[in-house]
Amino acid sequence: MSRAYDLVHRTTYEYPQPVTDSYGRTTITPRDLPGQTVHETAVVVDPAPADTATYVDYFGNRTTFFGVTTPHTRLVVTSRSSVEVSRVAPDPDTLPTVAWEDVARAVADGALEVAAVDEQALVGLREAVLPSTHVRLVDEVRAWAEPTFTPGRPLAAVLVDLAHRIRTELTYRSGSTTVHTTQAQLLAQGAGVCQDFAHLMIAALRLHGLPARYTSGYIETRPPAGREKLRGADASHAWVSAWLPGAGWVEIDPTNDQLVDDRYVLLGWGRDYGDVPPLRGVIFTEGSGAHPTVAVDLVPAGSVPFE
Amino acid sequence: MGQTLRVTDLLSSPRPRLDQPSAPAVGDGPVHAPDWSWLTDPADEPTPADLARARDASDLLLAEHGVTYGTDQLDGARPWLLDPAPVIVDEPEWSRLDAALVQRAELLDAVLQDVYGARRLLTDDLLPPTVVLGHPGFLRAVDGLRMPGGRELVLTATDLVRDTDGGWCAVGDRTQAPSGAGYAMEDRRVVAQVMAGVYRQAPIQRLGPFFQAMRLALRDVAPGGVEQPHVVLLTSGPASETAFDQAYLASMLGLPLVEGSDLLVREGRVWMRGLDGLERVDVVLRRVDAEWCDPLDLRTGSRLGVPGLVRAVRHGNVSIVNPLGSSVLESPALLAYLPRLARTVLDQDLALPSAPTWWCGDATARQHVLTRMTDLVLLPATRGTGAGAVLGWTLSHRERAELAARVEAEPWAWVGQEAVGPAGPVVDETAVGVGSEQPAAAGTPGPRAAVLRTYAVGHGSSYTVMAGGLARVADDHVVSSATGATAKDVWVLAAHADTDAAAPDEAPTELVSPRRPATGISPRTAENLYWMGRYAERAEDQVRVLRVVVDRWDDFHRRPASAGGRALTVLIDALTADVDPTAPAADEHHASLFGDHPRTAGDGTPAFRALVLDPTTPGTVARSVRRLAAAAAAVRDQLSTDTFIPLARIERALRDERARSRSRSRSAETLDLGATTDAQTVTVGLRPALDRVLEGLLAVAGISAEGLVRDVGWQFLDAGRRVERAQHLVESLLATLVDRRPRGVERLVVDSVLLTQESAITFRRRYQSDGGVAEVLDLLLLDPSNPRSLRYQVQRLREDLVAVPGPTPTHLLSDVVDLLTELDPATAATTVSDDGRRTRLAETLDSILWRLRAASDEIERQHFVRPVPSRPLEDAWDA
Repeated sequence: MSRAYDLVHRTTYEYPQPVTDSYGRTTITPRDLPGQTVHETAVVVDPAPADTATYVDYFGNRTTFFGVTTPHTRLVVTSRSSVEVSRVAPDPDTLPTVAWEDVARAVADGALEVAAVDEQALVGLREAVLPSTHVRLVDEVRAWAEPTFTPGRPLAAVLVDLAHRIRTELTYRSGSTTVHTTQAQLLAQGAGVCQDFAHLMIAALRLHGLPARYTSGYIETRPPAGREKLRGADASHAWVSAWLPGAGWVEIDPTNDQLVDDRYVLLGWGRDYGDVPPLRGVIFTEGSGAHPTVAVDLVPAGSVPFE
Repeated sequence: MGQTLRVTDLLSSPRPRLDQPSAPAVGDGPVHAPDWSWLTDPADEPTPADLARARDASDLLLAEHGVTYGTDQLDGARPWLLDPAPVIVDEPEWSRLDAALVQRAELLDAVLQDVYGARRLLTDDLLPPTVVLGHPGFLRAVDGLRMPGGRELVLTATDLVRDTDGGWCAVGDRTQAPSGAGYAMEDRRVVAQVMAGVYRQAPIQRLGPFFQAMRLALRDVAPGGVEQPHVVLLTSGPASETAFDQAYLASMLGLPLVEGSDLLVREGRVWMRGLDGLERVDVVLRRVDAEWCDPLDLRTGSRLGVPGLVRAVRHGNVSIVNPLGSSVLESPALLAYLPRLARTVLDQDLALPSAPTWWCGDATARQHVLTRMTDLVLLPATRGTGAGAVLGWTLSHRERAELAARVEAEPWAWVGQEAVGPAGPVVDETAVGVGSEQPAAAGTPGPRAAVLRTYAVGHGSSYTVMAGGLARVADDHVVSSATGATAKDVWVLAAHADTDAAAPDEAPTELVSPRRPATGISPRTAENLYWMGRYAERAEDQVRVLRVVVDRWDDFHRRPASAGGRALTVLIDALTADVDPTAPAADEHHASLFGDHPRTAGDGTPAFRALVLDPTTPGTVARSVRRLAAAAAAVRDQLSTDTFIPLARIERALRDERARSRSRSRSAETLDLGATTDAQTVTVGLRPALDRVLEGLLAVAGISAEGLVRDVGWQFLDAGRRVERAQHLVESLLATLVDRRPRGVERLVVDSVLLTQESAITFRRRYQSDGGVAEVLDLLLLDPSNPRSLRYQVQRLREDLVAVPGPTPTHLLSDVVDLLTELDPATAATTVSDDGRRTRLAETLDSILWRLRAASDEIERQHFVRPVPSRPLEDAWDA
C-alpha cells in the first residue's frame, strides 16, 4: 500500500527596505528513495532569478541555487511536489539485536562484517560519529544519555529508548530555541523543537561511537477528530537516522517517539541542520532584512493545498 | 654579532668545522656555521661590523619600501624583520631538496584529487578516513569539483627544519593560500643591495623563474577556451597580517588586487566591478581562506568572499588557486601517512622525511603519544600547521593528565610530533636546552629554532620550486612572524658561476603580459587613488601654510599691533579655519579611529605643534599624511615601490619631531602636543620638520607626475589633487583677501598668500612692487599658464574626468569657468562694502567653492559606488 501526497513548502520574506540581490540555496526537493517516489517536483522563486542551477550535493540531496538580481522587497521560495510513499516502519521487536558496544567497536576498528558495510560505506559511518557544527559531544549530553546505554543493550533498544525519553522528558515548545541553541542549553531549559531533539539524540549516539545523521523532511500532521486540518500551519520537520548493522539506516523521530513510516516525506540527510537547512542565502540591502514566514502543507493527493 | 652567526648556523649547509672544536653546539649533529669560503677573495668575507651596517641599511630600506607584517592598534603597521646575513645552501644539496619537494607536491596533489574524488585512499590501511573527515578544511560543498589542467594543488609551501644530523625535515605543509613568497622576493632585493659586495660575487640562483612559473600556472588553469584569462588576486584586505605580501605579489604578477566586495557572481560567472561596468574574471588567486570565500555555500556571514563563488566554480567558469578545500592537506596528521601514501600512489619512497608524527586516532599511535608525552609536541589535528602546539616537556604533571584526558576524549583530534632540529628537546627534563623558558645553553644565546619555508608551483607537467625561500629564526620553539621571528634570505649557490650573476633578481612581469588596457581597476581602487591625490595635496597645502605662519610668528608674535602682527592674526585665523569642527564632514574620507576633537591651545596661542604632529586631529599635517599612507597602502599594486620611499621619510620626519617634542616637554609623563604654549618655544624645531615633510611630498608629487602611466588610475589620482588644490586656493582667498585691510597689513597678507600658493616669485617678477590684490587675483585665479591658478586646476580636472569612463560633472566645472571669465580682478578688488568687505569677490568665490564641492561629491557618487552591504538571509529554524 502506498500513499500519495501533494506537498507545498513556501518561505516568504517581506523586507522593509529594498533588497538589490538575493542569492540562495534550497534543500527542499524530496529524494527518490526506496519507499518514496517523487512524481513531480519544482522549486519556484519569485522574483524570477536570473540564474538557477540544481545539482546533487555531497550527501546525495538535491539542492537548488538561485540568484535574484532585480531589486525586490518580497522574496518567495516555493517548492511543490507530488510524492508517493510506501515506507513501512520496522517493528522494533524484529530489528537486529546487535549490542550497541559491538556496533561502536566495529565502526572504530573498521570491522566491515560486523558493521555490515564495505570500505567505501565505512567512510560514511566514520563521518557520522564525528561532532559537527551543531552537534557537540559534551559532558551534559553524556550524563543525560547514560541511563540508556546499559551494557550489552541492543542498539535497536537504545534507539527506541532515546526517542521515548526525549518525547517524555523534554517539552515541545515552538519558538523556545534558535539555530544557535546548544544541546547543553536544551537540556538545561527542558524545552525545544524537533531540530533540537534530533540534535540531542544524534549527540548521544555519537558520544558512544554510534553513527547518526540528521534527516530533514516533513510529517503529515493528522487533524484531531472532527476538525479541519490546520493547513499551512505545519513546518519543516527533522529526525534521526542511525546506523544499525543488518537493518541499515534506521529513521526514527524523537519528537513523536516513533519510527518513520508512510506519514513522512524525506528531503535529505546531513551531519546536522547546518548541512540541510531548507533555505540558506545572502542578501544585499542597506536595510535590516526580515524574519521569514514558512508554510508547509503535506496533504493527500487531490486535496487542495493552501492557495 | 655572535647572535647573527648562530642564526645562520641553523639552516645553512652543514660544514664540519674541525678547526673550531670548541664551537658551541646545540644537539649532537655537526656544527652549522656561516660559510664564506666560496668567495674568491677571503678578504671579502663580511666582518661583524659589515653585517651590523648591513642590518641598519636593511632596516632603512624595508621601512622605505613600506614592508610590514601585521598591524598594531597603537603603532600602526609593524615592520618586517630581516637579518641580511643570508642562509647559504650548496647547489648539490639544494637539487636533492628540489627533487624531494617536487615529489612531495605531486603526492599531495594526488591525495587532494582523491579526497575530493574517488576517496580510494581513505582506508585504515592508507589514510584513515577520519584524518580527512574530521579536518575543518575538508569542504563538502566543493566535493567533486575539478580544476582544468589536470592538477588540483597549484601552490604549495613546506616548512623545513634541519634535523640533528643536518638533513632536511618537513614539519608542515601550507596548501591553503601559502604566504611569504612576496616577502622572500623583497628580502632578496634588500639583501642584494645591502650585501652588494658578496652578492655580486655569488653565483646565486634566481627567484624570478618561480614567479614566472606562477604566471604561467595561473594561465594553465583557466577555464577551457579562454585564451587571455583575466586573473585577479583576491586579498583579505589591508587589515590582513600579510597585506604587504599580497599586494606585492599582485604587483609582481601584474594582477589586480581585489577584495570580495569588488567581485560578484552573475549568470554563473565571476565578475569584477569595473569603473565601466563588469569585467569577467577567469582565474582567482586567493589569499582568503577557503571557508571565508563564499558566504552562501561556506561560512555564513563572511564578508571577505563572494556569494555564489562555489556555484561559479561548479559551473566551470572560474578557477580558484588553490582550489577551495585544499587546506585539508595541512592537517598535521597527514604527515604520519605520507610515507605509505608515497609508496602506494607514486610507487616511490618519500624522499623528504617529515617530523615523526603519530595520529592519536590510531590506538597504537595514541598509546605511544601518551607514553612519551614529555618528549613530544602535541598538536590539534584539526588546526592549521603549527597552530595550538603544546610542548609536552613544559607541562606539569597535572597539565599532562588534563591533556591526556582531552586526547582520550577525542583522540582523532590530536597528533604527537617529535620536536626536530638542533633545538629539539632532550629526553632528560633537567638537561639544559629543552624548555622554552630556559636558555639554549649557558653563554650561547641564540635562536632556538629556524624554519625554512619553500615554495612550489605546478606548471606544465611538473612543479617548479623556488630556488631559495623564506627562512625565519626565532628565540622560541614556535617560529612565527606574528611572534617576532626574523626573516633571512636563502642563497642557493650554483655549482658553476652564473655568467649573469650581477643581474638583478626580478620577477619578469609587465614584459610577459601587460596589464589590460583601459579599466582594470575597481571603483574601490579608483576611490583610494582619488583620495591619495587629495591627501597628498592637502598635506602639501597645510605644510606650505604652516611654514609661512611659523616664520611670521617668529617675526611678529611679540608685536601684535604692528602691521606684521595684524597680518599674522589674519593668517592664523585662516589656518585654524581648517580645524573648525563645523568644517564639512564630507571632507574626511575614512572613518576616524580616534575621536575627532580639533585642538587649539586655550590661551590664544596657536597649537602649531599639534597642527603639524598630531595624527588624531583632522586638519593637521600628520593626519593628512597618515590618510595618504593608508590610501597608498590600499592601492600598493597600482604604485611603484618608489612611492613608498618618500612616504616613509615623511612619517619618519614627523615621528622624529614628535619624539623631540616629547623630550622637550616639561612634564615628562604626558605627551600633550598642544600644551607647549610658551610663545617663544611654540615653533621650535617645526620649520626643519616641515621642510623635510615638504621634501617628501614633493617627491610623491614628482613620482605621480613622472613615474606613472597616464591610465584611468592616474586620472583619478590627478583629479583628487586638482580638486583639493582648487578648493584650498578658494578657501584661503576667502579667508585672507575678502576683508580689506590697511595697506601695510594687506601687503604682508598678500605676500604670505603668494608664498603659500607657490607663486611669489612669478608675482614679483611680473609686477615688481606694483602688485596689489587685483594682480594677485589675476595670477591665482585666472592665469591659465600658472600651474597654481584656479583656471589651470579646473582645466586639468576636466581633462582628467573626460578621460575616465562614465559621466562627468562638466556643468559644474563649466559654471566655474564662466564665473572666472566674468570676474574682473580690478572690480573685484575695489568693490568694497561699507563694512570693508570685497563683496563681489566674496560672492564669486562662494559660488565657485560650492560648485567645486558639489563637483567632488558628484565624482564620488558617479565613480566610487560602494556595493550594497550583504547579510545572511534569516534562518527559518522553527519559523
